[in-house]
Amino acid sequence: MPRRASSKLHPSWFIAVALLAAAAIAGGYFLMSKVNDPYRTINALDVLTYLENANSLRGNIYRVNGTVWNSLGWSPSVGRLFAVEAGAGKPGDLVPLLVPSALNHVNLQKGQRFVFEVEVVEGGVLQVKSLRKE
Amino acid sequence: MKRFLCCLLAISAMPVFAQKPDEPARGGATSTTIITPPKSPSTAPSVPLGEEVPMYDPGSEVISWGGKHWNIANQRVFQARFEKYLNAPEQTDADNVEYQKTIREILDLLSPRTATNVKLYQAYVLLFRAVVHDADGGVCNAIANAVATAWQAQMNQNQLALTVGELKKAMQAEQSKAIMFAGHQEQQSSKQSAGKKGSSTVPAPVVSPNEMRQGFYLKEAAAFEAQMAALTAKREVSALQARVQFQALMLQLFLQRRFQHVVMSCHMYRQLFNEGDSSIKVEGQTKEFFTKDLGMPPTVSTLLSLASEAMRDVREGVQAYLFLSDRNEMDSATKRLSESFLVGEYMPEIRTLSRDKKRLALTYSQKANRLVSALSVKDYTQAEQLIKEMEAMAKDFDSTKPRAAVETAKTVSAMHLAKARNAAIAGKSQAVEDELKQAAAVWPRNPSLLEMSGAIFGQSDLQQKAVADFEQLLSQGNLRQIFNDKLRFIAAMASNPDGQEKLKKVLEDMQTIEAAVARAQEFARRGDPAGAWESVERAAKQFPDDVKLNQLRGNYSSEAASFVESLRTAQRLETQGQTGSGLAWYLKAQRHYPLSDFAKEGIERLARKILPSS
Repeated sequence: MPRRASSKLHPSWFIAVALLAAAAIAGGYFLMSKVNDPYRTINALDVLTYLENANSLRGNIYRVNGTVWNSLGWSPSVGRLFAVEAGAGKPGDLVPLLVPSALNHVNLQKGQRFVFEVEVVEGGVLQVKSLRKE
Repeated sequence: MKRFLCCLLAISAMPVFAQKPDEPARGGATSTTIITPPKSPSTAPSVPLGEEVPMYDPGSEVISWGGKHWNIANQRVFQARFEKYLNAPEQTDADNVEYQKTIREILDLLSPRTATNVKLYQAYVLLFRAVVHDADGGVCNAIANAVATAWQAQMNQNQLALTVGELKKAMQAEQSKAIMFAGHQEQQSSKQSAGKKGSSTVPAPVVSPNEMRQGFYLKEAAAFEAQMAALTAKREVSALQARVQFQALMLQLFLQRRFQHVVMSCHMYRQLFNEGDSSIKVEGQTKEFFTKDLGMPPTVSTLLSLASEAMRDVREGVQAYLFLSDRNEMDSATKRLSESFLVGEYMPEIRTLSRDKKRLALTYSQKANRLVSALSVKDYTQAEQLIKEMEAMAKDFDSTKPRAAVETAKTVSAMHLAKARNAAIAGKSQAVEDELKQAAAVWPRNPSLLEMSGAIFGQSDLQQKAVADFEQLLSQGNLRQIFNDKLRFIAAMASNPDGQEKLKKVLEDMQTIEAAVARAQEFARRGDPAGAWESVERAAKQFPDDVKLNQLRGNYSSEAASFVESLRTAQRLETQGQTGSGLAWYLKAQRHYPLSDFAKEGIERLARKILPSS
């Protein structure tokens, strides 16, 4: 007697659909994040150039993605000075960032990753204009 | 012997011409000779026979005269005379033998036992034979002159006595005439008294012729008596002068220690002036010398006794010398001979002593004199040598006092030298100088003094060179060389307070450098080249010229290259005003070596620059 073909969906289909959905969601999320990132148009700081001659970069605005490495000082009127390890992954170079007192409401702690919008001011000091936690 | 020496030396300075007679008494002559001291030294010239008679202290062998003192054993004139005698040959030649023979003949002729005027004259003749010898020195001639003078005086006295006798007869004749006319006058007076009873109208004459004649004869008699008295006085004065001259000669001979001549002159005096008093009247210390010290009155007999005693004493002294020198007791022997020489320099026993015998005393005396000289000039090395020689030469030599003087001087000198050495070590140059002066004052020829002075002065040269080297190295900043030679510089700067301060600073700096080096080596031993580099780098900033620091800096900088590179880049950028870059490099360096003080300090410094009010 001939065996009748099964009418149920194969389980692999479910898995594929789930993967596609997840990819779609991730892609969407990525696109959304990219579209919504306000620093996406800001150039990342070239750390090597900065280390060689920071004064040559004065007046420029850069983006620094980095991890708070250590607090170097604090002044109620001027702000806070942090050492931030720029980049991700392998140990990057440490750069000092001056977080002005206007941003005192933002808590910065050692090990936190942030995206900093910085301006190279007098003396080659990187002064944070804005920041966002990653 | 000492007592006699005392007497003799006291007399020996009496010039004979000081003897002078008193004025003759108007009523009659006196035979006493008076030696008169000055009544007032402040108004009259001093007379040696008065208060200035030299006195001899036998206990200390010191003669005091005119406020000055001489030790006869240490008196240059006596020593020179004594040494001259010891070096002179014995006087045993034919001339001296003949002279002594003549002297003995004279003394024999004048012996009191057989004294006659004939023998006196024979002795007088022999005086002229004796005077031709050099050993006599003309003394016999003086005696002969004195005898002749005495004889002449005696002849004059005899002539005067005859004249006085004639005058006495004339006076008596005149007195007889006066008595005769006195008798006539008495008869005429009786007749005139009987006539008055008959007629009282004729007046008697005032002076009768008989009375006038009687007066003339009495005046003549008085004139003769006056002439007789004058001649008598002249005779007495003449006799006194002759006596005084002879006594003066005897005293002079005694003072010259011509005792043989004293004896013969005393015998002659007794024969020439055998009547009257023969005492010599002296006053003051001279009288005390005779009466108290000698216990005898000052007479011719006293002189004779003293001279005889001196001659006997000299003979015994020479015999004692010969005996003691044979027993190798040269100290006592030399003293006895010197005493005998002092008393009887012209005695035959002294003059005939052989030169070989005298040489022993001469050698000992020279050594004794050299010892005295060595002690007086504080040459104790020479004195010690002489003491040993004299001890070997004379077993009776008492070395206690000279040896004590030498040992004391050596001890005191050594003490001052030790103080000088300590002062030199302490760098007290003034104290060194003072102690060396005192050591030199105590023992000028101390060999140790010369050695120490040389060492100190040599050290001074080295010290000056070390100071110069120190200044040069300091100007070059070569502290390590100073540190390596620190012992030399510490010694050199001992007397230099400024140098000491500089050296102290150098040594403290070097202590800092050495501590940094030791710390760096410890870091390196633990495998921490960055820490080692930091240690020497910090010291090198303070002492950039230290070779060892720079060498270690080079070594450790290659071993901690990335850290050193980061730190130097940070420092360079900091100096360029690159605050941000510099801080980043300091952070990088700190990441290499979290314990880095340089990185920490740089971070803090730049952080304060960025955050001024933090």
